[in-house]
Amino acid sequence: MVMITGGAFQGKTAYALQDLGIKCDDIADGKECVPAALGKARCISRYHELVRRLGDDSISFTEELCRSNPDAVIIIDEIGCGIVPIEKSERIWRENVGRCGCIIAANSEKVIRIVCGIPTVIKGENE
Amino acid sequence: MTTLITGGSKCGKSSFAEKMLDSFSGRKIYIATMQPYGTDAFEAIERHRKMRKGKGFETIEKYTDIHELNLNDECVVLLECLGNLCANEMFSGDEISIPTDKIVNGLKSLANSVSQLVIVTNQVCCDGISYPDGTEKYISVLGEINRRIAKYADNVIECVYGVPVLMKGELPC
Repeated sequence: MVMITGGAFQGKTAYALQDLGIKCDDIADGKECVPAALGKARCISRYHELVRRLGDDSISFTEELCRSNPDAVIIIDEIGCGIVPIEKSERIWRENVGRCGCIIAANSEKVIRIVCGIPTVIKGENE
Repeated sequence: MTTLITGGSKCGKSSFAEKMLDSFSGRKIYIATMQPYGTDAFEAIERHRKMRKGKGFETIEKYTDIHELNLNDECVVLLECLGNLCANEMFSGDEISIPTDKIVNGLKSLANSVSQLVIVTNQVCCDGISYPDGTEKYISVLGEINRRIAKYADNVIECVYGVPVLMKGELPC
């Protein structure tokens, strides 16, 4: 598994397309895709939005995904570096994104963080 | 040795901090700064308690006034977290107080008295949202405390979804 993270609009998807050989058609959008089909997806983008849709089921879903699709490329925003939201549903989402992100990172041989389009490998070999 | 661990929400800071002290066989102290008010806090405290269970930590609940702690160099200390400590100091009284010097000095003297200090803090500054004055003040005060402790600390590590990213010094584990 490969994980690409960083803030919004930093060039994460562009990196997947240019550097990892991902095609546009390979990408399942976490905001709109059918979760049951993700076991075969080559790349899942906006995973933080998938977490929002799955709610508390996102944790077990993510664990299962790591088992069933160990070669997937997962693109997920970093969303946790702010003030704790007042709205409870926002707090729960933010915490679930953190937990799912930790599961994905632990199962990834490579984790890349993109800032201003510049990738840094924070886990795994830097080729 | 002092290590500062920062990062966002649920990004594996605590797990990493606990892992750092796993091999230490002496007295391990966990300073809990979160006050058990509200179901969210209660759930978070329970979760962290479960995580620490069996790892040999003594827990000291200290919500403010870290300088009052009297510990010696036979122990290692994990303090969690600066975000709560800062909020407790700022918002416990009738008026907002600015605890920057108090917290920084308290932590430095704690660091000087114990064998190893690991401090968990929070990055709360990156959501780009404008908040009411009190919250804006909190973000700036915590930012300054983080900067001053980072300058003092031997190691500074940012956790990104559980992956430790070295900012200063060396990765302790």
